[in-house]
Amino acid sequence: MSLHGILIIDLLGLVFAVWILNLVRTQRLHLGYALLWLAAVAGAMLLVSAAPLRALVTRAVGALFPASALALLAFAFIFFVLILFSVQMSALTRRQSELVKALAREAMREDERSDD
Amino acid sequence: MTIGRPGRVRIVVPAYDEAASLGAVLRELGRSVPHEVLVVDDGSTDGTAAVARAAGVRCLSLPCNLGYGGAVQAGLETALADGCDVVVLFDADGQHPADAVERVLAPVLAGAADVAIGSRYSDGRPYVGPLGRRLGQRLFSGLTPLLTGRRIYDTTSGFKAINAAACRAIVETMFLDLHMETIVRLNLLGFRIAEVPVTMSERHAGVSMHGLSSAWKYPTKTLLLSVVALFDAFLIRSRTRRGRTNRSEGGSGT
Repeated sequence: MSLHGILIIDLLGLVFAVWILNLVRTQRLHLGYALLWLAAVAGAMLLVSAAPLRALVTRAVGALFPASALALLAFAFIFFVLILFSVQMSALTRRQSELVKALAREAMREDERSDD
Repeated sequence: MTIGRPGRVRIVVPAYDEAASLGAVLRELGRSVPHEVLVVDDGSTDGTAAVARAAGVRCLSLPCNLGYGGAVQAGLETALADGCDVVVLFDADGQHPADAVERVLAPVLAGAADVAIGSRYSDGRPYVGPLGRRLGQRLFSGLTPLLTGRRIYDTTSGFKAINAAACRAIVETMFLDLHMETIVRLNLLGFRIAEVPVTMSERHAGVSMHGLSSAWKYPTKTLLLSVVALFDAFLIRSRTRRGRTNRSEGGSGT
């Protein structure tokens, strides 16, 4: 990878990292997700900047070219994050339905008390 | 619940946009059965809750739509919290005959079954309805023996009597639709399931909750949940077996 390419990706990584930190600062991003994204950004920057590491990962995943290995890792990461988000959404759905049921029960009891 | 003695029975009627048919259903129930009725209004926008209240029936009004499974779970949880021994699930669209409630209840009240299904097909009657539904019925009633080792003819009936123990097993599990996957789960957990022949009619008014997308969504969801139930039951059984082994090993040493 050319020095020019490495510098652009590292710069992009830094911009992303600052953006993520700012999202945490303004309380728009949960700390747990921020750590995940920061780790992904750091990992990508490291892989792009360190040629021996890139070669090692390429051999490890059985790819011929470093770009293919990076694409595979990026795909695996996106897949992982999507499953994680689905789990979080399912938990929110469960909590929402518990709240809805509790609210309905409370409203029914309140109605019955006021009828008495 | 004391086996062989009648307990406190509640009829739970989950309803979503059923204002047009609910009034007649509640009147029919009022004439036919002495049990208390709870309507679970699943976030309707057509005044379903008002119809229930006008009929003098308790109504649990969910602020937003949770779907059939969510509404049934809300009804079962409320019934359990109120100390009911048996819950009858009864559709709000007028398909279920109110005069069959006592027959469906009988095996559960007698302690002969934990769940009794008001079945359209258990007495050998053929499957009726649109082609898609007929195919689904055949698929599910053919799959149930493979998953549970016993034949259940009507796996999609919403007309059920369920005792408190089975209700607890249902409400402990989220994301159920209360059809075949629930029957599979309860059967695998050792609950006894009976079928009582019942003749059902067409819905009085309104439209079915099963739209076009249900043609693929319903069978795939049900199959997935059934496989999950199978997996869950296997884990529960192996945990119970391990617990028993540990206890007997501990017991032999003392």
